[in-house]
Amino acid sequence: MLLATVCAPLAARAFQYEGPHGTASLAGYVEARGACAFDGDTPEEDPSGELGLELKASSASWNSLKVFVQAVQDGTVIDPGSSRVFNDFDRVYQDRSPAVDIDEAYVDFYTGDVDIRLGVQKFAWGRLDEINPTDNLNTEDLTEGGTDDEVDRKIGVPALKVNLYSNLANVEIGWVPFYVPYRLPTVEERWFPRVLVPPATIDAGHSVGTIPVRAAYPEIDLPQGTVENSEAGIRVSRHIRGWDVSASYFTGYDTMPLVDTPVDLDVELADPLALDYDVTARVAMEPVLHRMHVFGIDFTTTVSDFTLRGEYAYFHNKHYNRKLDSILEELVTRDRIDETLSDFLADYLTSGGRDTRQTFRLDPVSDVQMDSMKYGLGLDYIHGDTSVSVQCIQEFIPDYDSDRPVYFSKDGLDTLVTFLFKQFFLQNTMEFNFRAAYDIEFKDYIARPSLKYSFTDRLQGTVGLVVIGGKYDDSLLGQFQDNDQAFARLRCSF
Amino acid sequence: MKFYHLAITVLVMVCALTGNVPAAGMTAYDIVKKSEDLLDQAKDSRTDMLMVLLNKKGEKRERTLNAFVKRSGDGTSKSIIFFKTPADVKGTSFLVWTDEHDQDRQWLYLPALQRVRQISASGKGESFMGTEFTFFDMGSHDVDDYTYKLLKEEDVGGEACWVIEALPKKVEFYGKVVVWIRKGNFVPARADFYDTKGAYEKQGTFGSVKNIQGINTPTRIEMANKLNGRTTVIELSNLVYDSGLKDDIFTERYMTRGN
Repeated sequence: MLLATVCAPLAARAFQYEGPHGTASLAGYVEARGACAFDGDTPEEDPSGELGLELKASSASWNSLKVFVQAVQDGTVIDPGSSRVFNDFDRVYQDRSPAVDIDEAYVDFYTGDVDIRLGVQKFAWGRLDEINPTDNLNTEDLTEGGTDDEVDRKIGVPALKVNLYSNLANVEIGWVPFYVPYRLPTVEERWFPRVLVPPATIDAGHSVGTIPVRAAYPEIDLPQGTVENSEAGIRVSRHIRGWDVSASYFTGYDTMPLVDTPVDLDVELADPLALDYDVTARVAMEPVLHRMHVFGIDFTTTVSDFTLRGEYAYFHNKHYNRKLDSILEELVTRDRIDETLSDFLADYLTSGGRDTRQTFRLDPVSDVQMDSMKYGLGLDYIHGDTSVSVQCIQEFIPDYDSDRPVYFSKDGLDTLVTFLFKQFFLQNTMEFNFRAAYDIEFKDYIARPSLKYSFTDRLQGTVGLVVIGGKYDDSLLGQFQDNDQAFARLRCSF
Repeated sequence: MKFYHLAITVLVMVCALTGNVPAAGMTAYDIVKKSEDLLDQAKDSRTDMLMVLLNKKGEKRERTLNAFVKRSGDGTSKSIIFFKTPADVKGTSFLVWTDEHDQDRQWLYLPALQRVRQISASGKGESFMGTEFTFFDMGSHDVDDYTYKLLKEEDVGGEACWVIEALPKKVEFYGKVVVWIRKGNFVPARADFYDTKGAYEKQGTFGSVKNIQGINTPTRIEMANKLNGRTTVIELSNLVYDSGLKDDIFTERYMTRGN
C-alpha cells in the first residue's frame, strides 16, 4: 500500500527532455523485498528497500551518457567502522546499510565504424544463461549466494570498451585497468559460503587432543594498479549463414573467490610441571589472486523451432581451492604437532621460562593450479506464451589430482543441468517462472519458482521460493541447503 | 462500335453475376496488388508506435516503441523495433531479417540479460509481445501467395470499398482472409481473418488514413480477436518514409544501443 502510494506521484515525476540541446531521461524504481527462512536456525534476512535511478542523456547522435545508481537499505548487518555510503571497488567484504552502489556510469562515443565506452560498465560475453565461462571481465556480487539474476550479480567495473564494426567481423576489446574484487557477505550473514568456514575442531592426536579452530577473514590485498596487473579481453564475432559465432581471449584474474589459508598455531603452556599445552589453530582466509588466460568460443543458431546455443572456454593457469578439511588434515598432523611442541619447549627453555605463549605459522598449499575447460550447450523453445530452456554445462579438469581434492569438482568433473520454464498469462500481465539447476556429480540442486504480476504497467509484485538441497554440505549448492526461503518483492517503476 | 459497346456491357453483366466485377478493367488480384504497391512505395520507413492492449473488460495497457523498416530490391527486408515503455520492456529490441529465398532470422535483445539472443523465426503464428497481432501479421507477405476473388462492394465507415476474398495457396495460419479495400485510394479499411477451420478469428480495421509524403497510410490499426474478446490498437505517429536508413541500423550494434 505504501509503495503504491509512493508510486503514483513518482510516476508523474519521471523526467524526459527532448530538445535542440539533446535528450535526457531520468527513470527508476523503488522496491521493497522480504524473505522468510524456513529453517529458523539459519541467519535471518531482514526486509530491504532499494531505490534505483537511471539517468540517460545525449547531446548529439555521436554520444550518450548512462548512470545507474542503486541505494539499498538492507538492515541486516551494519558496518560499524565505516561512515562511507558508497560501495567501494577495492573491497571484498562491504557490508553497510544504507549503501549506494554505482552499478553503471559511462559515456559512449559513436563514430563511423567504432564505438567507445568509457566508465563503470558491464560486459556480456558468451551465449549461455547465468553461467558463461567466456565472460570474465566482471566479477560478481555473491552476497545473495548467487541466487539473484546474473545482471544483478555482475559488478560494474571501470573499463574501456572499444567495438570495431566491419563486414569481415565485429571486434570488441575490453580493458579493465584495475581489478575490482568479487563481493562476499560477512560470516554472520545468511549467504556466507559454508565452504569458507573451517571445522570447529581438529583432532591432533594424544599430545594435545582436539584443537579448536578459529577463522579470520582479512580483506583482499589488491595488486598495484599497473598495466601488467590490468585485465583485458578481445572478442571477435561474425554472422555466417544463420550462425552467430564468436571467439574470445581474456587475460586477468579469476572471478570466483580463491583463498590462501595460512594457519597460526597458538601454543600456551597451561601447566609447566605437567607440560600441558593449550593449542588453538587460527586460520586466515586470505583472498588471493592468480592470473589466468581464457580462450573461448561461442555460437548460436536456430534449428527448426529451436534455438541452439553453445559456449566453450579453456582456462590456462586456473587455480582451485583445496578442500579445507584436506588442508587441515595434511597440515595439523600428530607429527607436526609433536615437532611444534618440541620447538615450543626449546624456545621456552631458552627464554628462561618467559615465553609461555608462542605462535607457529604453517603455510599450507591452499590451492592447486590445473588447466581446465568449461563448456555447455543450451536449447530454447518458444511456443506462444510459453518458453522453455534447457542447458547442460560441464567443467573438466584433465590433470585432476585426486590426492588433493578441490571444491566443486569430483575427480575432475562437474556437470550442471539447468532448466528454465516461463509462462505468460493474462496478456503478459502475469508471469510464472521456474528455474532449476541440478548438479549430477554432487547431486545437489536449486529450484526457484516465482510468480510475477503486473498490477499496472508501473507496479509489479513477485512472490517465490528458493529451495536448495544436496547430498553434501561442501558442494556449490549443498553448502546452502539450509537456506530454503520464501520471498516477496514489490517494485514500483517510474 | 455498337458491337464493341454491347460486348463491354455483356462482359460487365457476366462479371456482375459471377462476382468478378472488374473495377475499370482491374481484377481482384490487380486491386490487391495495387493496394500493396501503393503502400510499399517507400524503400524505408521509421515511425513511433503506441500499442494499446485491451482485454475483454476494457482494461488497457500501453506500450510505446520505435520501428524502422528497410526493403532491398533483392527480396530481402530488415526491420528493427525498440521498446520504450513500460519500464519492464524498456530497452528491449527486436530485429528481423526476412529473405524470400532463405529462412527468416530474428534476434531479441533483453536489457535484463544484456545479450542479444537469436530466436526461432518459425513461430510466426505466435502473438507479438502479448498483442492480438502475430509475427505473421507483422511481417510482409507476397501478393502471389494468395488467390483472390472479388465478392462485392460495400461501404465501411462511409467509404466505398471492394470486398475481396483471399485464399492462401499454402494454408499456414489463416484459412481465409476477407479484405475491404477503399475504392478511393486503395487503402485497406478492414480485414477479417478466419482460422484454418473456418472460424472467424480476428477483425482488423485500418483508419485515420493520412497522406504522408504522397503515400496514403492508415495510422490507426485495430485488431480485435473474436475468440478471446481482446483488442490491440496500434497508432502510428511521426511516420517518415525514405529517410535513407542505413543498413547498419539493422544490426546487433543498434539493438544494444537501444535507439
